[in-house]
Amino acid sequence: MKKSIYNLEFKLFFRNSSSWIGIIVLLITGVAGLYFGKTFIANQQAVIEKAAMLQKKNTLSNIDHFGKDIGLLFYHNKFSLANAPNAWAAFANGQRDINPYLISVTMLGLEGQIYDTDINNPVSLLLGNMDLSFVFIFLFPLVIIAFSYNLLSEQKESGVWSLLSAQTNRSFRVIWQKFLVRVAVIFSVALLLLFVAILYLHLPVDFIFFSITTLIIFYLAFWFAVSFFIISLAKSSNFNASALVAIWVLICIVIPASLNLFLTRKYPMPEALQNVINQREGYHEKWDMAKEVTMKPFFEHYPELKQYPFPQEKTFSWFWYYAMQQMGDDQAMPSRHAIENKLAARQRFTNTLAFFFPTIQTQLGINNMAGSDLNTHLDFQQAVRKYHEQIRWHFYPGIFLNKAVDSTDVKDYKLEKYSPQQTPSVWVNLLSISILTVILIGTTAFNFKRQEQF
Amino acid sequence: MPNRVSTIAKQTFKTALNNRATLALTLLLGLSLGLATYVGWQNFKTQNNQRLHYKELVRAQWLAKPDKHPHRMAHYGYLAFREKHELSFFDFGIESFAGVSIFLEAHKQNTVNFSEAGFSNGMLRFGEISVAMVLQLLVPLLIFFLGYNSISAERESGTLKILLCQNVSWKQLLWGKTLGIIGVCLSIFIPLMLLTILLWASLSHWQISGDASLRLMILVFSYAIYFFIVSAVTVLVSAFARSSKSALTTLLACWIFFMVIMPRITQAVGVKIYPSPSKIAFADAIATDIHKQGDSHNPDDPHYAAIKDSLLKTYGVTDVKKLPFNYGGYIMAEGEKITSKIYSNHQKELNKIFEKQNSITKVAGFINPYLSLKHISMAITASDFNTFVDFQNQTEVYRYQLAQKMNKLQIDKISNIAPGEEEKPLAISKANWAEQPDFNYHFGKLSLVITNELLALSALACWLLATVMLLQYTTRWIKTI
Repeated sequence: MKKSIYNLEFKLFFRNSSSWIGIIVLLITGVAGLYFGKTFIANQQAVIEKAAMLQKKNTLSNIDHFGKDIGLLFYHNKFSLANAPNAWAAFANGQRDINPYLISVTMLGLEGQIYDTDINNPVSLLLGNMDLSFVFIFLFPLVIIAFSYNLLSEQKESGVWSLLSAQTNRSFRVIWQKFLVRVAVIFSVALLLLFVAILYLHLPVDFIFFSITTLIIFYLAFWFAVSFFIISLAKSSNFNASALVAIWVLICIVIPASLNLFLTRKYPMPEALQNVINQREGYHEKWDMAKEVTMKPFFEHYPELKQYPFPQEKTFSWFWYYAMQQMGDDQAMPSRHAIENKLAARQRFTNTLAFFFPTIQTQLGINNMAGSDLNTHLDFQQAVRKYHEQIRWHFYPGIFLNKAVDSTDVKDYKLEKYSPQQTPSVWVNLLSISILTVILIGTTAFNFKRQEQF
Repeated sequence: MPNRVSTIAKQTFKTALNNRATLALTLLLGLSLGLATYVGWQNFKTQNNQRLHYKELVRAQWLAKPDKHPHRMAHYGYLAFREKHELSFFDFGIESFAGVSIFLEAHKQNTVNFSEAGFSNGMLRFGEISVAMVLQLLVPLLIFFLGYNSISAERESGTLKILLCQNVSWKQLLWGKTLGIIGVCLSIFIPLMLLTILLWASLSHWQISGDASLRLMILVFSYAIYFFIVSAVTVLVSAFARSSKSALTTLLACWIFFMVIMPRITQAVGVKIYPSPSKIAFADAIATDIHKQGDSHNPDDPHYAAIKDSLLKTYGVTDVKKLPFNYGGYIMAEGEKITSKIYSNHQKELNKIFEKQNSITKVAGFINPYLSLKHISMAITASDFNTFVDFQNQTEVYRYQLAQKMNKLQIDKISNIAPGEEEKPLAISKANWAEQPDFNYHFGKLSLVITNELLALSALACWLLATVMLLQYTTRWIKTI
């Protein structure tokens, strides 16, 4: 008996052309999202491969041009570290278009190089990427709304409801069954798209996969809860549609956009500009000062390098030059930390806010899992700093002793790839979304109970 | 006859505002607009003041540099900051996605760094609430809510027949309804524009230029036309729809498709069709070209060997050290000339590719008035792609002049005989530094902006024409019952 009712409800649902339109829109945009997301990441992978090739070529041509002067060689030669995308980055491109994924630096002052951006089209950045996470976060809720806004109101407006109420006192059960059919359809489409994503993007079925899947399911459940809540108010179809779209616009656009404006106002970033100035002055002013001013702090920074003879009497030496460059970085240290603190404050602020807004929560959670968020980029920057420091340590002695270039192993330096250290978790994201969903379902149940009494 | 139109318009206007929900929505929108304007204006002031502060600091530091070798100054270089146009508080455009500061030094073209987007943890991707965003995205939604049942409700309640029997024509009805809805929009839009004008005037220190006032006028007209288009479409959909419900769902689906999905897809398609080179490929192509033309870093380069030979011949000397001017400076000036020309050509090519990428979205303005208005609005408020490119170009011109100025000083004032390894380095007086002027960005003239945006403007004009035609001539196909 029960099974046949669901069969009937499914038939009713699929007989409606708008149901098919909704499903097809999700599938088409989903496939488009997969395609564009993959293209975007494949392009980055190709660039990294090319960079590996160019790293070798450029080092050889630099040795050819400047091989006689080791200090000059390292003035020109660049070393590259790439933040290679993992498979999930194609699922959620996140901030990977804005933040550079390939940083090439010389041994000179790092603070003057590490913030260099990629060359990209600002209009594309403004309009945003088309990837599968966009479909899940923005379009799925809309289809959920379209499928469920008139569940109760349509019955009432067509007069079926009064007939039904007269025949059974469990009329709300019918609404619940209709609702479950829609839940089943939406989740099937979502899982189907995720399954296609596994095959097309070669996603590993691992912890990240289950985290993201759970996050998406929770997020979609939240939207069902919102729709069900509005249905439970028992208003007209037009009211429901307007209210639900208004909620979507508020949660997906207006509130995040307003909060963002508030965020930039609360945490402005003048430190970044100050940092550039500190680095530039810290290095350049040393040219006009006694060598002591540079060498004393330099040897305090690297006591181990004192063993190499410093040519005090020479007007210019690479030893002095590289030490001056180091001073730029050292003097930019306070402003660099100020930037880091400001960014951390921004992150805390966003995390707190995200607790109340599932859209922000899901977006941040997915980007975090996919390694395409700001934090991953900041970790990548730290890795560049570490790599740069290693290179300095490795080549400083050769430069300071003015050795022949052939005696170093600079030719062996290849492009290095950065791999994130820790696996992020989504527990907080899941928790906040589920709390909101439970609250909504509770209120909805209360609403229906009250109506049934009348 | 126009009397009837205005009666219908007034009636629509009144009913709309009598509805408590509509009134609440309208007030809410008005309030958020006021807030967006205020916060946008505040942000503008904070950010612009920061940039101006650092601009002054950079200038002061440049002038304070002691006597030194001009080539040291060429490497010390200059920092330029991208200033905002006063009207950019109205529309943020690409502001947050474009860099703010660029380091200008000899031999090397750097990127414009530190965009707001680079500091964002992803929140920015939801958009930024600005006056323009509210007007472009949310006001149409309000219009849809106001007008989806403008005709269909009359039909459903049976009043439509009565109206048409009383000698009201379809045309009058459609125009009246459209104007009534626009009236509601204008009741928000007009005070808002007055506020905008006030804030803008205060940002320009109450000195209003002709160029800026014209910009503002075009802006007001474009938005007014946009609202008309949206209102007319709403009334038409309501007239043709089977029921109020189907009118509402059609309009909402259109809103989502045209404003949320389409911009991303058109841009993604543009990027796919016209791929732009990566930074490393771009740099490599430039390096290859420089190598072909003459690489001053290569000791065996034939181009520079030829220059050396001809100089030695002209001055009748056997060694470059005997030349009457600084040979190193001369070679650097030549190198700068070659490299910057090659760089500029590549940069031009790159910008052309970006323009082609954007062209898909621009052409899509003919099917999506939102996109054409967005382009016009960004261009008028100088927060668009072209302004950013123009900034890059002006900084490159400045960078080149600075480098060549320092090379000239070296050629003229630095001895051609290098001092010994332990001798004092050669230097010139710090008085020379003031000769290099400060970097000041100049915004493009409005006429240029309009030429650039002809496509978007004509798309909007086409839409205006199309909707007027539809209101005038489609009435015969509308069903009364």
